[in-house]
Amino acid sequence: MAMAALRREGRRFAPLISPRPITAVRSPPLAPSHEDEGPIGVRYVSTQVVRNRMKSVKSIQKITKAMKMVAASKLRAIQTKAENSRGLWQPFTALLGDLPSVDVKKNVVVTISSDKGLCGGINSTSVKISKGLHKLNSGPEKETKYVILGEKAKAQLVRDSKKDIELIITELQKNPLSYTQVSVLADDILKNVEYDALRIVFNKFHSVVSFVPTVSTVLSPEIVEREAESGGKLGDLDSYEIEGGETKGEILQNLAEFQFSCVMFNAVLENACSEQGARMSAMDSSSRNAGDMLDRLTLTYNRTRQASITTELIEIISGASALEG
Amino acid sequence: MASNGAIPFWRAAGMTYITYSNICANLVRNCLKEPYKTEALSREKVHFSISKWTDGKPEKPAIRSDSPEE
Repeated sequence: MAMAALRREGRRFAPLISPRPITAVRSPPLAPSHEDEGPIGVRYVSTQVVRNRMKSVKSIQKITKAMKMVAASKLRAIQTKAENSRGLWQPFTALLGDLPSVDVKKNVVVTISSDKGLCGGINSTSVKISKGLHKLNSGPEKETKYVILGEKAKAQLVRDSKKDIELIITELQKNPLSYTQVSVLADDILKNVEYDALRIVFNKFHSVVSFVPTVSTVLSPEIVEREAESGGKLGDLDSYEIEGGETKGEILQNLAEFQFSCVMFNAVLENACSEQGARMSAMDSSSRNAGDMLDRLTLTYNRTRQASITTELIEIISGASALEG
Repeated sequence: MASNGAIPFWRAAGMTYITYSNICANLVRNCLKEPYKTEALSREKVHFSISKWTDGKPEKPAIRSDSPEE
């Protein structure tokens, strides 16, 4: 009966009212609801507390595993779109080149980030690069403005670069991403912002575990003309024939707008892929951490349980031997 | 920029090339037969919230939620 009582004790650890062979020398602090003191003064955590913690860690593990699977399925959906959209801007780079080192007066940095969190460090890297670009392009007569897509970059940039922000755009991912949406967005940006060069900062999706922050530069038509005069890749523009009765300037303007729209489309898609990939790996590592935590807690729980059983046994036996003489 | 030919009508009306191409794309989408037409039109819905900042202060955000531009 003593063993049954002990087993019940070990499982429930309710405040001690059950009938046991109590000896007069039993020490009261062994009634565990909070701190547990053994006979030598060794302290153990109550098993009740440990059990609650184990339950919550287990549910967290389940949730993060589910989030990882959701992110994996979303990633599959947009990955094909992103890879197909790469073909949109490649001809532009072949024609007009990508000159990140161009020196202009009015820079606009378009930072692309996610609206939701729990996606690892990708938003912080984008913001870091944007701030770096800002510093790189600051100087006499030069100014840099920000256009921000996404809540996460907004939160970080509002803190210290308030006066340089031009536009903030959020809630972009309410509908599945399509070219129409991004082109309307690009149109709004072009209408509201004066620029000589647009630098788009996003995370390029190379694979599920690698997202590289990249900067794409789109120049305004006037700057393209300026660079064309100085030779290099853009200097070959004059060797192209223009059909249709439009002037070179008009064509350059159309091309610049369309280029911006295409580059934005690709950038938004790649960033969305990177976001889902980063969320997958973040949730995966958090599930693994939760699993480790659970193992450690289980060990603590068992140790505590066994220690309390042992102390009860010691008491009973010493009580019994005291009775015998 | 030499004015060789006339400025295209849409540029004169204040549209950008992007707006022009979006309207044309919508016209093409409207030429589809059902059921593909409703699928295509619902696929191309636009929604985002844009807010312009001046001098470090945000103005009221405007939500652009429309079906593809008409």
